[in-house]
Amino acid sequence: MSFAGNSGNQGSVRERNTANMPVPLTRGGTPARLVSLFGSLDSAGRVVVQYVFDTGELGYHVVQSPFDGSFASIAASVPAAAWYERELHDQYGVELAGQPDPRPLLFHENWPEGVHPLRKTPGEIPWAEREYPFLKVQGEGVCEVAVGPVHAGIIEPGHFRFSAMGDVVLHLELRHFYTHKGTEKLFEGVSTERGVALAESVSGDNCFAHAVAFCQAVEAACGVQAPPRAAALRLVGLELERLIGHIGDVGFLANDVGFVLAHTLASSFKESLLQASARCVGTRYWRGVACPGGVRTELDPNKIRELSSAVTEAARKFAELAHIVLETPSVQNRFESAGVLKREVARDLAVVGPVARASGMDLDVRRDHPYGHYRGLRLEIPVTHYGDVMARARIRVAEAAVSAGLIVETLAALRPGAIVEPVVSRGDVSGFSAVESPRGELFYWVEIDKGGLRRCHIKSPSFQNWPAMPFAVRDNIIADFPLINKSFNLSYSGCDR
Amino acid sequence: MILDILERSLRERSPLIPVETLWGGCQGSRMPDVQPARLTPEIARRVAEVCPTQAFTAQEAGAPMQLTLSYAACIGCGRCIEAGEGAVVAAESFPWTGVSKDRLVRRWDLEKRAEIDAGLPQPSLARQQIYSVLGRALNVRQLDPGSCNGCEAEITALTNPYYDLERFGIHFVASPKHADMLLATGPVTRNMREAVKRTYEAMPAPKIVVAVGACGCSGGVFAGSYAVAGPVDAVIPVDSYIPGCPPTPAMLLSGILRVLQSAAGKLPEMERAHAAQVSERKESLR
Repeated sequence: MSFAGNSGNQGSVRERNTANMPVPLTRGGTPARLVSLFGSLDSAGRVVVQYVFDTGELGYHVVQSPFDGSFASIAASVPAAAWYERELHDQYGVELAGQPDPRPLLFHENWPEGVHPLRKTPGEIPWAEREYPFLKVQGEGVCEVAVGPVHAGIIEPGHFRFSAMGDVVLHLELRHFYTHKGTEKLFEGVSTERGVALAESVSGDNCFAHAVAFCQAVEAACGVQAPPRAAALRLVGLELERLIGHIGDVGFLANDVGFVLAHTLASSFKESLLQASARCVGTRYWRGVACPGGVRTELDPNKIRELSSAVTEAARKFAELAHIVLETPSVQNRFESAGVLKREVARDLAVVGPVARASGMDLDVRRDHPYGHYRGLRLEIPVTHYGDVMARARIRVAEAAVSAGLIVETLAALRPGAIVEPVVSRGDVSGFSAVESPRGELFYWVEIDKGGLRRCHIKSPSFQNWPAMPFAVRDNIIADFPLINKSFNLSYSGCDR
Repeated sequence: MILDILERSLRERSPLIPVETLWGGCQGSRMPDVQPARLTPEIARRVAEVCPTQAFTAQEAGAPMQLTLSYAACIGCGRCIEAGEGAVVAAESFPWTGVSKDRLVRRWDLEKRAEIDAGLPQPSLARQQIYSVLGRALNVRQLDPGSCNGCEAEITALTNPYYDLERFGIHFVASPKHADMLLATGPVTRNMREAVKRTYEAMPAPKIVVAVGACGCSGGVFAGSYAVAGPVDAVIPVDSYIPGCPPTPAMLLSGILRVLQSAAGKLPEMERAHAAQVSERKESLR
């Protein structure tokens, strides 16, 4: 099995390394940002640990280190690696020396010790009862508030444990992975075509970004490229998903500070786009549209006009509404200086997406490592440095306008042509691809052999960003937590997979 | 500024979709329907082969050869429609929502080219009946036992001005203790099994449980995973099913209304079951 990966993005580097993991540097000499860290098995069944870094202009840098029994943790110097290392241990049973937090991540109290499903396919897994030690904040007057996994409202499950002094949060500990579905394992042995349905079910509201990232990774592995028309249609779907997501997010933020009318209006703008999607591509969230090699759905001129005018209309109304929301004093009162995520924390935890861009990190896969139809586009990437709820709201408002413009321009310039290129696997291959989903950098790694997919790793932006949220909540009052949480708008299922 | 928006909203036509238009609608779900006149054994085999979740199965053994479709497993990927040469089409209306699990299964005889036990009839929409059931106050608790959040997105859409679920007196409530109905989406993961049981137990009787989405009905694409305990009915008793991946707001709304229609007749029975349960619990405490 060759591990040489091919990239769906520009400027990838690959390298084999058996020594302890040094962090590569960017051209400017700063340590590269950790993109992902995951395991896979080589043809002899040995664990290989793969580290993916973003070195900026030098592209994605994948370092592969065969596991030789003893391995050092990098989490002390690269804090962003902490959750990945815990996941690596749960999936493969790899012990990492010096791991700052060796507690299980994916598996809860019900999971028996010593069962590592990606190392060896488990049979019947008995129900265990283990303990999970939460971090204890001690001292007089410290009070613990436990919330979840079942929350009030139509929300995904997760557990939050606040240690508070009066109303002020001293520490928030996350306990997630309630929706862990073993998705990466389910990819094993599945055909690349059927893998799309799994990728679409990682995080339902970002299903198209997941489908495109997966398909691009397969295409990179097999050495094919989606035809230009397919790449353009994918861009339309990706930007529409971002537009729909951001409109909804700003509406929900307004709702959380009692501005219900704005939420009602935003939800109807969003609905108009979902209905236009259903009429034009057959599904509301673009499910079943992407396939390896291109897309399955053609857009005729009438539908192009219909989609384009629906987007123009919704974006215009939304811009107007957003202006009113963000200029309303009671909203400003609640949004400003709430839930500040400091730039240093965002950098250390390698935060991505709108959350990173609201904390002064200027990164966006579409511009930094362009793929598909984004190649050759000049993109305007809004960045601000306040890092509060207001900053995250403003970033979304600005991005929604950019997305709407991209959709309309791309639809207007759509050239006739094929929409799918046949994908044939040439035996043992691997590839990766990164996509800027509405929540940020989404990274897929696939290994394909004759039997179909051998390994699929998903780095979701939510997995990356969740550990940063407690830092934004600290020193705020518990009552502001829902608002801060909403301003991050992370996916639980995308994180837990 | 805000007055401008309000004024314009008042002048615009209401986006509210009348219940008669929503009833049975399924646009955007790509749920398949079969045109039996065009069905051949060859097509039946191919359709079963391309289906990623075995929602379609073709029984070769024993005459007559049959094609079976279980909406519980269907994720609406549309591959059967592509492969079906006109024998499989996207359904135009969809009465298979808010029904019992056995009603989600359809069969076709390939020799006679006809459906066995012809499809589920679309019940008449008795507005009056819907408005009268439960005195216009149905409290729904939505529970996510492990979903991908696709179903949550569509359930949330039910409250937007196009669907406005509250016009039927249906509210989403924050606590299972206030709920008449539990809408459970997604496969039940190992890590959520306990929480799902406790949520169910916290609901006062009579209670209705509805499994939502392909995952909630059958496990969907997650069936058989090491981390999944099973579909909703593997963990708590389920009364009705709303299939789809995800079900569209129209399918959800039709499903909930249909459950209400059938629950109206079952209420006395549910009350009795509750009374029995209470006395049993008292017995065990003694």
